[in-house]
Amino acid sequence: MTNDTQNVTKVKKQTKNKIRVDFERTSLWQRLKIKYLSLRFIGRVIFVIFRIVLLLGISYIILYPFISKIAGSIMSPEDFADVTVALISRNPTLDTYKAILEHNSFMDAMADTALLSLLCALIQTFSCCLVAYGLAKYKFRGNTAVFFCVILTMIIPHTIIQTQMQQHFAAFDIGMFGKGLIRSVFGGMPLNLINTNWPLMILSITAMAFKNGLFIFMLRQFFKNIPDELEESAYIDGSGIFRTFFQIILPLSIPMLITVFLFAFSWQWTDSFYVSLFYLDKTAYQSFTNVYAIPQPFVEAIGKAGGSAFRAAIQNTASLMIIAPLVVVYLFCQRFLVQGIERSGITG
Amino acid sequence: MTKVLSIFRKSDAKAPRRKSISLDRKKARAGWIFVLPFVIGFVLIYIPMIAESLIYTFTDVTATSLKDGIFSIKAVGFDNYQEVLFNHTDFVERLVSGTTQLIIDIPAIIIFSLFMAVMLNQKMIGRAAFRAIFFIPVIVTTGIIAKTDLATQSTTSEMEGGMESGNEAQQSGGVSQIVSAADFGALFSNMKVGGELQAYVVDIINNIFNIVNRSGVQLLIFLAGLQSISPAIYESCSIDGASAWETFWKITFPMISPMILVNAVYTVIDSFTAASNSVMSFIQDVLAGNSANYKASYGVTMAWVYFLIVIVIVAVVAGILSTYIFYQRKET
Repeated sequence: MTNDTQNVTKVKKQTKNKIRVDFERTSLWQRLKIKYLSLRFIGRVIFVIFRIVLLLGISYIILYPFISKIAGSIMSPEDFADVTVALISRNPTLDTYKAILEHNSFMDAMADTALLSLLCALIQTFSCCLVAYGLAKYKFRGNTAVFFCVILTMIIPHTIIQTQMQQHFAAFDIGMFGKGLIRSVFGGMPLNLINTNWPLMILSITAMAFKNGLFIFMLRQFFKNIPDELEESAYIDGSGIFRTFFQIILPLSIPMLITVFLFAFSWQWTDSFYVSLFYLDKTAYQSFTNVYAIPQPFVEAIGKAGGSAFRAAIQNTASLMIIAPLVVVYLFCQRFLVQGIERSGITG
Repeated sequence: MTKVLSIFRKSDAKAPRRKSISLDRKKARAGWIFVLPFVIGFVLIYIPMIAESLIYTFTDVTATSLKDGIFSIKAVGFDNYQEVLFNHTDFVERLVSGTTQLIIDIPAIIIFSLFMAVMLNQKMIGRAAFRAIFFIPVIVTTGIIAKTDLATQSTTSEMEGGMESGNEAQQSGGVSQIVSAADFGALFSNMKVGGELQAYVVDIINNIFNIVNRSGVQLLIFLAGLQSISPAIYESCSIDGASAWETFWKITFPMISPMILVNAVYTVIDSFTAASNSVMSFIQDVLAGNSANYKASYGVTMAWVYFLIVIVIVAVVAGILSTYIFYQRKET
């Protein structure tokens, strides 16, 4: 009953449709006190500060190498000899960039790598998509066995079969120890695929290139989360299996496809393992490995004081120039990266 | 005409059953068509390569001309393994140190990426920017870039050590020595924990750059896992008065535990290709023929020995983790 007396409201004005009442509110000061002086709020503030400091700190750790690389890239050889120069150059210069551009066949390497990465990434995205969709949506005998094989290709690293890979593509045939099926039937010389794009293309088409097992795993989870009713209704409307796949499923999974494409593209871009395995001739493929060489004008300066720091700076500059296109691609695609992953709902 | 025909067929007693079988078959065939590229590649290219590689470890291959595919193979049984494991101490040393490093790194990467995923999953200002920054290493610091980073870091730290014995401010290169062991010793001495843990934490913090770089994909997988937890569960928890701490351990952790297994396995596998993997780079040197006192078949053998050890680690990790994993039953 006491409640009633407290909550009694004074009717200020009453018309036919509206009523205005006046009731007692706790004062502003009281409300603020309750809201902001509680233990919960203080804990929250401390947590938010802790979180922002931590995230900023780790962001700094991630970004610092880039900052220091950029700082080092515009330094001149004299700066490295000067002990007082730490991060900011005394006589900034763009000579390092120019030298790498002119002397290290940077543009050739860029063109070759861009073409190869684009091809590989497109093919890998497509073939992984096919395999993952087949594994996710169709129950056929051997489904689990095929998935097990996919996992197997993921866990056996290509580094341990690199010699065999090189040999197989140097004398490409179906078979072992150079005794191939095709050659024993039709005869002829072994097919040498080294120094062509074919080894990586074949690995990409068969979804066995670098970390394709991971892509298939991710895509399979994604497709499993797409409700079956979607395809069933498409089938009922008379769409075939492949038409459903291309016209209904693929447009739905664009964020995920971009994620996979981004991974495939950037991992192929920075790859040195496969490139060194399959391209033995510089004229066939100019890899980024050669960009790291010390440019001709700087060979002299390397021997002087601060030379090893200068050498490191030159290599870091080369790294920067290699990753610059990647960073641009990433900035455009990163929105999709998180989006695709979020929608995938990967669960064990 | 065809329509009439199909109606006619449907009236047939046998036809409906045959049709349902053929739909199943059609679907199964479609499934096979989808996975066909992989199956062809796996059977025709991958299995021969793996088998050949395994056979190499039991033979003495003297390649007259490897490029043309002319070999002379002599079976030697387990001689290669014996030679590699017992007569070459430097490989075994590297193997032991590399494996220990791997075991140290797994929990660090898992804990770090889980922690960061939980952080990045919360609503806050600049979340998109932080996420973008955190995924930069996955895209950019891989392969040749990571290798060069590692090389330049080691040269600059050597140089610093030679010049001023560590007191000099670093000139360029990566982050080295963020904290010293002494600072942490002071902190930990009050907490009554062993020196091993202290050494471990100092090691991790000095390696933080490496760990951040290697936990990108794991972070993504954890984020995806966190996104798939229904918000309704959290809501009911907060109504029941659970604190954030309790919610994490009672809800988030069990729900994310399958992801922990996936990530642990992925971390181990991924460490093969990590630039900082000293064992693998050693084996690659041998395989490339840069080490004079190793035959080509030793390199393959070493790779398989290392792989088997890592597989055992994966099995042990998976075995331990799978007892703690909570699988949510999906109601149908």
